[in-house]
Amino acid sequence: MLLSSKNDSSPKFSLDVQHFLYGREYRAEELPFSEKVIKTHIKNGYVAIRPAVELLKENLLDLLTGRKKWQCRRCGNRDQEAFAVCTCARCRKKCVYCRHCLNMGIVRSCTKLVTWSGPAPKAWASVNSVARLCSWNGILSEEQTAAANALDQALAAGYSFLIWAVTGSGKTEIIYKAIERSLMQGHHILLATPRTDVVRELLPRIRSAFPSITVSGLYAGSDDNDPQAQLVISTAHQLIRFSDCFDCVFIDEVDAFPFHYDPMLEFAVRKAAKPGAPFGYLTATPPPGLRNAYLMGSLRGIKIARRYHGHPLPVPLFRWIGNWTRFIQHGQLPKTIHEWLMEKKKQGCQQFLFVPTVTLARELTEILQKEGFERTAGVHAEDPDRHTKVAAFREGKIRTLVTTTILERGVTVPGVEVAVLGADDPVFDACALVQIAGRVGRSPDYPEGDILFFHNGKTFAMVQARHQIEQMNKEGGF
Amino acid sequence: MSGSHCLFCRAEKREPLTFLSLLSPDTSTGFCLSCQEQLERIDPLYSCRLCGRDLHSLEPAFVHDQICHDCIRWKQSGRNGLYGRNYAIYSYNGFIKEVMTMFKFRGDAILADGFEKELKKAYSRIIDHRLRFRFLNLRSGGEYEAIVPIPLSRERLVERGFNQAELLARKLGQPIVDALIREKNEQKQSKKNRRERLLMRETPFHLKNDQVRIVTGKKILLVDDLYTTGATMRLAATAITAAHPKQIDSLTLIHG
Repeated sequence: MLLSSKNDSSPKFSLDVQHFLYGREYRAEELPFSEKVIKTHIKNGYVAIRPAVELLKENLLDLLTGRKKWQCRRCGNRDQEAFAVCTCARCRKKCVYCRHCLNMGIVRSCTKLVTWSGPAPKAWASVNSVARLCSWNGILSEEQTAAANALDQALAAGYSFLIWAVTGSGKTEIIYKAIERSLMQGHHILLATPRTDVVRELLPRIRSAFPSITVSGLYAGSDDNDPQAQLVISTAHQLIRFSDCFDCVFIDEVDAFPFHYDPMLEFAVRKAAKPGAPFGYLTATPPPGLRNAYLMGSLRGIKIARRYHGHPLPVPLFRWIGNWTRFIQHGQLPKTIHEWLMEKKKQGCQQFLFVPTVTLARELTEILQKEGFERTAGVHAEDPDRHTKVAAFREGKIRTLVTTTILERGVTVPGVEVAVLGADDPVFDACALVQIAGRVGRSPDYPEGDILFFHNGKTFAMVQARHQIEQMNKEGGF
Repeated sequence: MSGSHCLFCRAEKREPLTFLSLLSPDTSTGFCLSCQEQLERIDPLYSCRLCGRDLHSLEPAFVHDQICHDCIRWKQSGRNGLYGRNYAIYSYNGFIKEVMTMFKFRGDAILADGFEKELKKAYSRIIDHRLRFRFLNLRSGGEYEAIVPIPLSRERLVERGFNQAELLARKLGQPIVDALIREKNEQKQSKKNRRERLLMRETPFHLKNDQVRIVTGKKILLVDDLYTTGATMRLAATAITAAHPKQIDSLTLIHG
């Protein structure tokens, strides 16, 4: 064991254990160290240990009925249905275990979670802040500069900040300044997003902007896990094993699908941050909680209503196509869609076709290929070739990409036009529709483009989405 | 756990509303319809009479008199001893593999509840089947007197936290006898190929000394999660044979 023996009066601990455990929280059985080493560290107060599943404080009703309520300390799960009891061979008793985070290795009520509670490693605290860290040379628009400064000031003062910016306004570039300042202070920064695709899109951009910094990207299946990285870009799922690690957290697309759907993810991000660490929220469609906090003034923030290239947002058009799923089931393409696709084929531009379900994505892809729209592909969340297909679409090898809502965010392809088939489906809420509409016209060379909602009856979400876009355009001075 | 969500995919169970479900709603835990559809049930009327394999998926050339080729080879090898036959409920496929991974390796012990109904059904079918035999052949039959789950080695038990075979055996609703111990921590069966499994002659199982009396002269039903080559079952049977039971059969959740 590497023992730091520089100063005899200072208590001793193993640097290996420190580097492994700092900012993380593991199950005791996951540790690569012997029990004895961990026990000595616990005794000396360098390592903290706590049960993984604990009993929630009982209220009077539960006390009377004798019902027990559990909470998982690792994933924050409190849904009593997601706990189960099994006989445990380890403690020879009946153990409660959390079913919510089983994929990360089971936590039972006899499982212990281990984290570092001693001093921070030296490497974290070192500052190499002479030169500029950010090598991004682009020019920010007026609105972007104002937002970047406001964000930087708020975070430096330890306040959370909301950037409410329309799609395609260059949100990522806005945070560079704050990241740079934070890195110079030797801070450890997290950039959390809800989706793997967004991590994969952001990673090369951030890497090229901060060439001297180790950046690691965490998503399911990534092998890019450098525990020493100063800047971590991660999906929320991957943060479960982090604890008290980051000094500053940015959450991109706070309102995106799994985030507001699964409270575990918010719990994971909060746990990964150090207590009191400021959060930077970035979104085009803030969830009600953040929006109200911002409007009431309890959360600092800024609104950007113009895209960085200064053109207005394309406003969606509604087209009624009747009971189109019946056409699809019969292997036909509705006439309106066919016409639109033919027109686009003549113009030679790429299209996203959003559909509500995976089955429809498959069927529609088949029909399109049969109808002679060559270079068509379909993607959905479980598609093993999803990343290669998206990459091929970016390179222009695929002309039409049929997709479920997985590509609603973060994917920037210049000159793309978008149609939503079945925009009246409950899958497409107002946020999703605004995001989808935001795929269009993002590059300054192609600031316009079609965004069509094919529907069988307008829904409130569709009208709301169009209203939000028009409202933003109005605020942007168009 | 309440019964409104599927045990495996955790989606809401949407069972068709019938008068029966209206009058006595089914609140038991279990799998939703779409998960159940993906389970490949073995037709008991057309399965191998010795190992319980689904014969629909087998080429007719490999089947003789409703006995599959593998079982004929076992017969010829002379290693069957007292071991009679195996009963299986599901065929092995991608879906059940996922379920078993969740159950065994991720430790989601409650998934055993989802198989409770089917296990009980299968057990009563087996008994019934044997009763009919008794009537026709005047063979003594009836219930099994001892249900013995295939054990795990001590190390593996601690690693996994529970014995999946024991959990499944408990779902039969009969008292179980923990008669065997697995001594050596040999390589996992699932990591071995067919040849390696069949070559293993020395049994890793031992009968517990204090359980010999319980087993002697009884009809034994071994329970495990998976029957693949049948090697494990025969090794376990060999270990029990020392106590002179009347007969040994086995029940597994899956064949494949």
